[in-house]
Amino acid sequence: MITREVCERVLRKAASSGADYAEIFAEHTVDHSIKMIADRVDNISDRIIAGAGIRLFKGLRSVAASTTDTTEQGLMRCAQRAADALGQGSAEISIELKERLFGDIHPIKTVPATVSNAEKIRVLKDGYFAAKEFSPEIKQVTGVLLDVDHGILVANSEGLYAEDRQIRTRISINAVAEHNGETQTGFYGPGRRMGMEMFDSEVDARAVGLKAAQQAVTMAAAGYCPAGVMPVAIGNGFGGVIFHEACGHSLEASSVAYGLSQFAGKLGTQIANPKVTAIDDGTIPNAWGSINIDDEGTPAQRKVLIEKGILKTYMVDKFNGRRMGMPSTGSARRQSYGYVTTSRMTNTFIAEGEDNNDDIIASMEYGLYAKEMGGGSVNPATGEFNFAVNEGYIVRNGKICEPVRGASLVGKGSDVIMNIDMVGKNLDLGTGMCGSSSGSIPTTVGQPLIRVSKITVGGR
Amino acid sequence: MDFKAFKQEAAKAAESLGIKEYELYYTSSEDTDISTFRHEINEFSSSVSGGVCFRCIVDGRMGYASTEELSEAEAQSVVRRAKENASVIENDDRQFLTEGGQKYREPESRKYKLPETEELIKKALEGDKKLYEADKQIIDGSAAGTGVTTVRTAIVNSKGLDLSYEASAAYFMADAVVSDGKEMSDAYKMVFGSYDELDIGAAVGEAVEKAKAMLGYDVAPTGSYPVVFAPEAMTSLLSAFSGIFNSENVQKGLSRLKGREGEKIAADCVSLIDDPFYPGNGVNIGFDAEGSPTETKNVIENGVLKTLLYNLKTANIAGVKTTGNAAKAGYAAPVEIRPFTFYLAAGSVSEEELFKNVGEGVYVTSLGGLHAGANAVSGDFSLQSAGFMIEGGVKTKAVKSFTVSGNFYELLKNITALSDTVKLPRPFGITAFGSPAVAVRGLTVAGK
Repeated sequence: MITREVCERVLRKAASSGADYAEIFAEHTVDHSIKMIADRVDNISDRIIAGAGIRLFKGLRSVAASTTDTTEQGLMRCAQRAADALGQGSAEISIELKERLFGDIHPIKTVPATVSNAEKIRVLKDGYFAAKEFSPEIKQVTGVLLDVDHGILVANSEGLYAEDRQIRTRISINAVAEHNGETQTGFYGPGRRMGMEMFDSEVDARAVGLKAAQQAVTMAAAGYCPAGVMPVAIGNGFGGVIFHEACGHSLEASSVAYGLSQFAGKLGTQIANPKVTAIDDGTIPNAWGSINIDDEGTPAQRKVLIEKGILKTYMVDKFNGRRMGMPSTGSARRQSYGYVTTSRMTNTFIAEGEDNNDDIIASMEYGLYAKEMGGGSVNPATGEFNFAVNEGYIVRNGKICEPVRGASLVGKGSDVIMNIDMVGKNLDLGTGMCGSSSGSIPTTVGQPLIRVSKITVGGR
Repeated sequence: MDFKAFKQEAAKAAESLGIKEYELYYTSSEDTDISTFRHEINEFSSSVSGGVCFRCIVDGRMGYASTEELSEAEAQSVVRRAKENASVIENDDRQFLTEGGQKYREPESRKYKLPETEELIKKALEGDKKLYEADKQIIDGSAAGTGVTTVRTAIVNSKGLDLSYEASAAYFMADAVVSDGKEMSDAYKMVFGSYDELDIGAAVGEAVEKAKAMLGYDVAPTGSYPVVFAPEAMTSLLSAFSGIFNSENVQKGLSRLKGREGEKIAADCVSLIDDPFYPGNGVNIGFDAEGSPTETKNVIENGVLKTLLYNLKTANIAGVKTTGNAAKAGYAAPVEIRPFTFYLAAGSVSEEELFKNVGEGVYVTSLGGLHAGANAVSGDFSLQSAGFMIEGGVKTKAVKSFTVSGNFYELLKNITALSDTVKLPRPFGITAFGSPAVAVRGLTVAGK
């Protein structure tokens, strides 16, 4: 992408005003998506994202500059801009880059660019029409097949020069169902850090469409969820968004380093119910949120964040790690070169527990079974979060009863994580995009079926 | 290479591939952002980003391709890729490119003075100092931020269209974190405009006041109440549901407003206006993303749906004239539809009078989780909320950690009154949302 020699000259220029760390992140990304709506291929987005970002640290200060001009002159101008912003001076630092190969733990069998549009459209149509033909109540379907080939290069003043190529594929189907004048939607969108072989081994496009359609039809006939405080069982897979929001964001160094986290200063203490063990693991082969190296060039790690309720570690990037006196945990991520890297999650999940899934539902006299969750958000400082429930059912006398629509869950992370009092055995992962200061990045959430003893359910 | 040279290369490539109808859409943005931590500059970032989207009509189908790499090879590549992409598109709706030579209303020019980096740093540190001096409960983690943002867009096509605009502004942001020793609370306020006129004192005051108001909060009791939405909360709702007025969504069955033009869809007191020239927004623009002239229009007038928002394609399908609302969510995105400054018109009473009229209810000052808790198709919402109780006709104690649930289509009909001042919480952008405080009857609150 950019040669070692050019990187050396650019880093020297960037560090010339006294930085004690200098870094170049360059990327060349092919971002391709096909969208279907109204039974037709509606649009193809076909985009090259290319540019570079330079970061400098001096003590606890960070400077970042980015450019779309990756010629040597363009990079030198960007380096000068960064150096000027850091301060004056004419420091000479010697930089000798050594190329490192970290290896690829996520093999790709079919690089998306080598597959024709026609072949991709065939797969998308399988999913699309499975949803459309599921029921006459399905009035509209939107389908998207996305593939991304994200090539990155990281070089820094510590001598690192490394590249990685991150390929991802995702199919998402959104179905709209109408029942007696009521309109509801269903969604399913699995993805992997894989090429088109995802559809041979991992994901059945038709099953994706069916799941979205089934959810829409179920919800269109459902009544509103009642409001109030009640026990809630949250389904496996994407249900893990509850940990991601209620707890995960507050364990990122970008919040913790500034004291803006409900869990700052709590290492080694009990922050969660002893039933809860939570892990962030960027090394799961071909999982959606996996990486080989992070966007500062640190190899991906598996970290136990919480072990039986005790806080073990945070997710740390190099810059925030300085303030915390902690090394990077391979958690530095950015959407692209124009964003400033910070600590983020990869594949983050609650580990399997010892409760039988049947016992979890049977334990509830009255409550909500949130089978499929939607997205959510959190304020990491206070831990106040919210999630949408995409598919919910009332539980009465230990039995799953009628479906309910329009539910949301709100509360405080530090409370809810203490209230996870049953953890089941069917761990699964779910695909998501996570938005934060360094942009939108692919992350996996996950958990087995869990029970939260009480939580506020928003309904009507 | 620059956009001009890229354009020429692309034109050559188009000609050699026999492409007659094409357009190039270029965006470039420059942003500088500075923030403080404990009285020092903590982070500085200066980013330049942007790219070119090439789209062309081949056999009646529109194909797109984009790049951020402005080179000869990429100019040829986007043209070839766009043509290839067009060949598999099945959407056979009539596609349009705009002829050059139309008349456009010139927006009143707003030349904001942009500061040098040193001045920005000074202002950030000054803001940081003011924050810490503003209140004893301010704690570390509070931050001041300053920056400048500039956006340039150009549209040129094979039919002689050649349009461009540039908008820029400076901003100041106060992020106040307060603690009473037990609980933490935070709030921020951002102001945009000319560097000289950024009122940092007012921004700091507002952020601190908002953060402090939420200390020692209670949880709202579960029940059905009248709700008063503050402008910040109402604009969140309006932005989440603005897509229901998008004619493309209506035509594809993703909005319930199909066939409702000319019908009453809201209470009599409700008027909703789309204004590309709204004086309170730092970005005014005389043409849309297809190069059609923009115009101010009432979308809802005294409760009646007067028009949806159209671009050339959807207007053609509906047999009407475009409203000039073509928009792109980024240079590489397909042409969609968005409003400009989209705001609910002011009513005639003060906020205090709204509280008085409501008597007993909830005043919602902020809504969270809109990307998840608001379903733009069904209109259902169930959202994390914060605000105050309204008791005996006045605003009383702070309440948090509750949800407000309802349906946007029903909410429009259940608006009982609007206050007399429209606010734009983020007054800089091609799309911006505005609202006065709005009283709504009968929404479900879930709390304790």
